[in-house]
Amino acid sequence: MEGRLIEAARGRIVAALAARFRDLDLAEEAFAEAAASAVEAWRRDFPDDPPAWLWRTAFRKAIDIQRRARTRARALHDAPPPQDTPEDAMLAADEPIPDERLRLIFVCCHPAIEPASRIALTLKVVMGLPTPRLARAFLVSEAAMLQRITRAKKKIAAAGVAFEVPGPEAWAERLEAVLATLEIAYTQAYEDAALAGDAAGFAPEVLRLSGLLAELTPEEPEVLALAALVRFAEARRPARLDDSGAMVPLSLQEAHLWRGDRIAEGAVLLDRAADLARPGPRQVLAAIHGSHLSRQDTGMVPWGDIVRLYDALLRMRPGPVTEINRAVAVAEAFGPEAGLRAFSAIAAARLEGWLPWQAARAWLLDQTGQRLAAASAYDAALALSPAPAERLYLERQRRRLDFSGP
Amino acid sequence: MQYMLLIYEPESAYKGEAGQASLIEIVGKHMALSAQMREAGVMVSGDGLQGADTATTVSTGPGGAQTLHDGPFAETREQLGGYYLIEADDLDAALGWARRIPVIEGGKVEVRPVMTY
Repeated sequence: MEGRLIEAARGRIVAALAARFRDLDLAEEAFAEAAASAVEAWRRDFPDDPPAWLWRTAFRKAIDIQRRARTRARALHDAPPPQDTPEDAMLAADEPIPDERLRLIFVCCHPAIEPASRIALTLKVVMGLPTPRLARAFLVSEAAMLQRITRAKKKIAAAGVAFEVPGPEAWAERLEAVLATLEIAYTQAYEDAALAGDAAGFAPEVLRLSGLLAELTPEEPEVLALAALVRFAEARRPARLDDSGAMVPLSLQEAHLWRGDRIAEGAVLLDRAADLARPGPRQVLAAIHGSHLSRQDTGMVPWGDIVRLYDALLRMRPGPVTEINRAVAVAEAFGPEAGLRAFSAIAAARLEGWLPWQAARAWLLDQTGQRLAAASAYDAALALSPAPAERLYLERQRRRLDFSGP
Repeated sequence: MQYMLLIYEPESAYKGEAGQASLIEIVGKHMALSAQMREAGVMVSGDGLQGADTATTVSTGPGGAQTLHDGPFAETREQLGGYYLIEADDLDAALGWARRIPVIEGGKVEVRPVMTY
């Protein structure tokens, strides 16, 4: 019970401390000390307002830590004493806890931070994920993860990254950096957690983080759409693997297994995004996911709509990923030959060594009845080390070709 | 905080007649920018450097043995061509100024906080 109360208050208090003291380490350390004393103190005398208690205590701890550091620094350098007295700062702790989580998200996802570190830092500082957990989620050693986080924090402190929500002139670019960070993280979480069967995935945290961001910037359609997208994708999680652990492609998933609550949450978010009337790629992508999910009610996939949505997405976000998915949708809507033609028109370098391309090619050739070509495309896909669940699926498709008649 | 804005550009872009014209244009923009920096009270100092072909590098090897050689320390396409030293509240403010530095295509501006003691 105490543990959960403390965890629930964590993000907001760490963010408020970080914004006030402009020091991520100090904020985390002060919160950890406050949480440690809470266990003792609450046993004797349980506070009326535990988050407020934690905030006040963490604030005092932060000042203590700062004072200790300054004493050490003075001993070393004989530096002048600090300007602000602890008493001034103490008064500020009587305010209600300010919500600075958005500021903190912008700090952690600053374009000046190495992209690979942004999401780890955000999950650590804003969502409170411990380093060992992050290390497992990102498939690196704890030492490597710790180093990554330490380096990012050091850059923030040393380069003087502003603890501010960006102004209007920088808003679009900085928000894009936040959205891209979350989107990449989610894609990674989605792939790792389902396809590799890794229980240590961090999809739930990205789900919460995208929800928090939508709460903090309710007027940003792309933020709402990303939150919707994550919910739509998570809704399908229970249907993504079959009993043998093999991947089930979206259009073959058992729709009754999809989580209706997540779908409903996503739909509300996407509607709100649409009301803001500022289209963007994440809204289109979420609409594509939403169209697939409509099968739960109607029993059929509106492939024609999906192709049109991919056409729109292609204009906003051109690239082979969009084109491959579009070709598959074209095959479903207008027949495999049309799909294969759309697929053949994709021009990009080194596609042969890229698993999504080979897997889609194999499927399209398979659909058009070109069994030999399909078999060799499945072999090529299997040679590109797919994750275990996808491997099982591809192997099964490949075997089916051997046994079916001419 | 103080930030050093280091300007790296492909020097070859300033060669020839067209290059000379771009040089004159860019220098004009630098004059305008430094006037704005002074007006905003952020400018500490700033200068352009002569070409990398005027550079001489002192290298220190094992045991402190020093050697001199002609040229910049690294032969890269872009060479350090000038700098601004500015006073800014935070990295974002410094990056804002860095973005306004005129450079030729392929040019880069590296922003480095100055160490405080």
